[in-house]
Amino acid sequence: METGEKVNKGLKALEEKVFGNDQCTACGACLSLCPYLRSWKGRVVKLDDCNLEEGRCFAYCPRTEVDLDEVYQRIFGKNYEEIEIGPFKRIVMARAKNPLFTKKAQTGGVVSSLIDFALREGMIQSGILTPRDGDLLPQGKIITGRKAVLGCAGSSYVSGPTLEALNRGPWKGQERIGIVGLPCQVLALARMKNSTLEKKTPIDRVDLVIGLFCTWALDYKPFMAFLKQRIGNRSIKKLNITPPPERILEVLAGGEHYQIPVDDIRSFIRPSCRVCLDMTSELSDLSIGTVEGKEGWNTVIIRTAMGENLLKQAKKAGVIETRTLPKDHLNHLKEASILKKRRALDALNEKGGIEKNYFTLSADLIKRILSESEGIRP
Amino acid sequence: MSSISQNAPGKTVLLMGNEAIARGALEAGVKVCAAYPGNPSSEIIGTLAKVAEEMALHVEWSVNEKVALEVAAAASFAGLRGLCAMKQNGLNVASDFLLNLNLSGSRGGLVLVVADDPAGVSSSNEEDSRIFAKLGDLPLLEPANFQEAKEMTKSAFEISEQLGLPVLIRSVTRVSHARGNVCLDELPQSSPKPRFENSQRFLALPAVTNHRILHEKLNRAKQMAEQSPFNFYRGPEKPELMVITSGSGWMYSLEALINLNVQERVGVLKLGTTWPLPESFVIEHLKKADRILFIEEVDPFLENNVKEIYAQSCLVLGLKAFFGKASKHIPDVGDLNPEIVTHAIQNLIQVSYEPRPAVYAMRAHEATAELVPARALGFCAGCPHRATYWAVKIALALDGRDGVVLGDIGCYSLGLGPSGFGQMRTLHAMGSGTGLACGLGQLSRFGLEQPVIAVCGDSTFYHAAMPALANAYYNGANFLLLLLDNSATAMTGFQPHPGTGSTATGKEAPVIDLKAICEVFGAHVEVVDPFDVAATVETFLRLLQEEKGVKVLILKRECALVSAKHQKRLYQVEVEEERCLGETCGCNRLCTRIFKCPGLMWDKGAGKARIDEAICTGCGVCTEICPASAIRKEKA
Repeated sequence: METGEKVNKGLKALEEKVFGNDQCTACGACLSLCPYLRSWKGRVVKLDDCNLEEGRCFAYCPRTEVDLDEVYQRIFGKNYEEIEIGPFKRIVMARAKNPLFTKKAQTGGVVSSLIDFALREGMIQSGILTPRDGDLLPQGKIITGRKAVLGCAGSSYVSGPTLEALNRGPWKGQERIGIVGLPCQVLALARMKNSTLEKKTPIDRVDLVIGLFCTWALDYKPFMAFLKQRIGNRSIKKLNITPPPERILEVLAGGEHYQIPVDDIRSFIRPSCRVCLDMTSELSDLSIGTVEGKEGWNTVIIRTAMGENLLKQAKKAGVIETRTLPKDHLNHLKEASILKKRRALDALNEKGGIEKNYFTLSADLIKRILSESEGIRP
Repeated sequence: MSSISQNAPGKTVLLMGNEAIARGALEAGVKVCAAYPGNPSSEIIGTLAKVAEEMALHVEWSVNEKVALEVAAAASFAGLRGLCAMKQNGLNVASDFLLNLNLSGSRGGLVLVVADDPAGVSSSNEEDSRIFAKLGDLPLLEPANFQEAKEMTKSAFEISEQLGLPVLIRSVTRVSHARGNVCLDELPQSSPKPRFENSQRFLALPAVTNHRILHEKLNRAKQMAEQSPFNFYRGPEKPELMVITSGSGWMYSLEALINLNVQERVGVLKLGTTWPLPESFVIEHLKKADRILFIEEVDPFLENNVKEIYAQSCLVLGLKAFFGKASKHIPDVGDLNPEIVTHAIQNLIQVSYEPRPAVYAMRAHEATAELVPARALGFCAGCPHRATYWAVKIALALDGRDGVVLGDIGCYSLGLGPSGFGQMRTLHAMGSGTGLACGLGQLSRFGLEQPVIAVCGDSTFYHAAMPALANAYYNGANFLLLLLDNSATAMTGFQPHPGTGSTATGKEAPVIDLKAICEVFGAHVEVVDPFDVAATVETFLRLLQEEKGVKVLILKRECALVSAKHQKRLYQVEVEEERCLGETCGCNRLCTRIFKCPGLMWDKGAGKARIDEAICTGCGVCTEICPASAIRKEKA
């Protein structure tokens, strides 16, 4: 751009690069910052044009010009170079000890019990979680007590604007905040922390970020229309996807069990998930997912001092129990993670080349991802 | 006593063209006057409504123009004189009746005034209604000034009674809405007692017989036109160029001749009875000149009809050159003005003319700029329609299925522009939005996935949307009708209608409840206050998700201009400067850049929004849209 013309880094660019390209993850980072963006039924919608040259919507978005080194420096003090599952201190498997949590949990109840513990111990005063209601519509909610935490347990496989709650408040102004999010949301939070724009949000009071494992998320509206066709208007109690090779979406609704092949719902996967490099929410304090083949146990990746401290105290208080993650499970996790990166690079290549992309990644790292993912059976 | 009801023969008063027409009707002893409001015709019946009691008239705002003409015709059948007024679009609505009424004939004097709107200044089209006179074999008069507007109206009643036919008067904006001196005549003191003579029948059938009788009447009309004082020639005996004109073209032509100082070289044949044309009179005058220029708004009506007469007599008349719209000397769309006519004449007779220097227009603009603040074409401050379209914009964006908004006729037609955030996609006739929705609302079976939304005002609903709504339910169309109930026929000057509880003459009237009607027509009806933006968006979105059937959302909030007349402002509105985000990320001037209520101002120096105290009506809607809650309202 030798003409001296300013490159737009505001809503205009967001619309062009993200909405126009179907790359929105509906993370919610751009919502409730201004009157021009709003979400409805899991989709972020532009209401009017905004002609500002730069805006927070663009700066926070996990699908616009992400300088990976910059955000990894901010969280871990080092560049983006650990291409398997990101920087970490150690990895354990864990589960909640209180049956209140395990009963409602997707797997081990560790996320809910850790947030509950952090709240009770005063490490945070508010959590931002995603309630799991019968209509599955995901949206962020500020919660301060156990009952609300329990209302957020379980997965819906649908992504939604959880982070909007951070921008919207209401906040008293002093509370320390813990957030549970998907990898795209965790990336957005890191970008929010890193942004040099005037913030006007409580991002600097976000002390705890628990990231969830995620291979993809579904687009709410078409998925719900599909479910309605399959199961009618029944309120959905639980969704679960069984591990490979069968890969079945189990739906518990209206007292009945439905089994839907995952292949039937693949078309509702958000296109923005296909180009995602991150399966394990690498920019969080703690990353938590299932342990395939170990019913009722979570994998916990401890990445920061904050994460280590919370886990230690929770264990000491008897809130959770931990075990060593068996080596083959760890290897499997790393393989799955690097395969996701590989698939993202392939998808970007299909879309017109890795270089025309939303993140900076050196040729060397691209080569490493390609070679290390070679020969892994998906 | 108003100037139009004073019995002061010989007195000269200043009257608007429409008032002159009303006065003419009074001098003719009119008893029944009916209309549906529409600019530029509205003041005719509006003026008569004001003197109805005093003059013992029945004056009504009818629900539409067809009914209005039927009301006036019924008076005529009973031997009274009836007047009906409408704008050009209205004649289309009334035409079904009119084109049977011509065959049945009338009894008491029956005059139909149609005020055309060349250039469509306040209309959706600029149709030339004169063609209806030819189509219906009906006598047509065209007033060229204010005195004539009165005289012609009076005369039209006489002609009507002599022929047993309704007579059309065609006015245009510049005659109806301009003012001039009018010398009054006497008002009649007695009036006949109405009686429907059962020995007489008013039937269109048998069509052929009545058509023949109609042509005989028209022939008599032509004989009467030959003697009419409304047709005359002014100019030299052998002009180099003869202008043939009618209506507003008369004054424009006179001004052009003065501009060019060619009164001795160019003559003007001014015609007042423009259908049927006085054939012999026209032929006599065509003999005067070999070069003829037609000046008329909008279509070449005189131009074509005079050429027709010429064609019949060309062997006698010899070669003539005709200029006008066909020859491109006169624009064939839009309105005229003295400049256009001056240039046309100048081109035809080679005369030097120093047009008004361009700098004059600039200076005039500069001189008036301070007096008249710039105002975009849009909704008034505090207009409920702005709030409605704001909600429409948000709801349709959120819905995300690219919903289509079908427009209709009224203030809310401005929804097509920036003030309605460009939401409207169609605009045609009264009630057409709902009618189109009946069709678009059937296309889902062919794969149309877009939600269908029609907008319609309260007055328009009674006028023409009710049949469409009945049709929708009967035929199973799916759409959402937004019924914008501002309790007024606002666009034309706040005339009452069946939903307002009062009549044209200010008498109390029963209210025909919109919600009840819509429910009877099988619609699922909800009512919201558009000033409650969040509730409106929520309700609109919810109704939009309902897949089947007709849904009606009534947006009930009185027109801001009507409210201002009888109630105090709702809120005192203020901008809290410290909170206003101005142009920064987080707002970027939503209120003055997008919402654009004229009551909001942008203080460029301070970089803050402000309330224009003089304009703000205190509706409080902007306090809801401000993202920083910087606009505060307090109960006024």
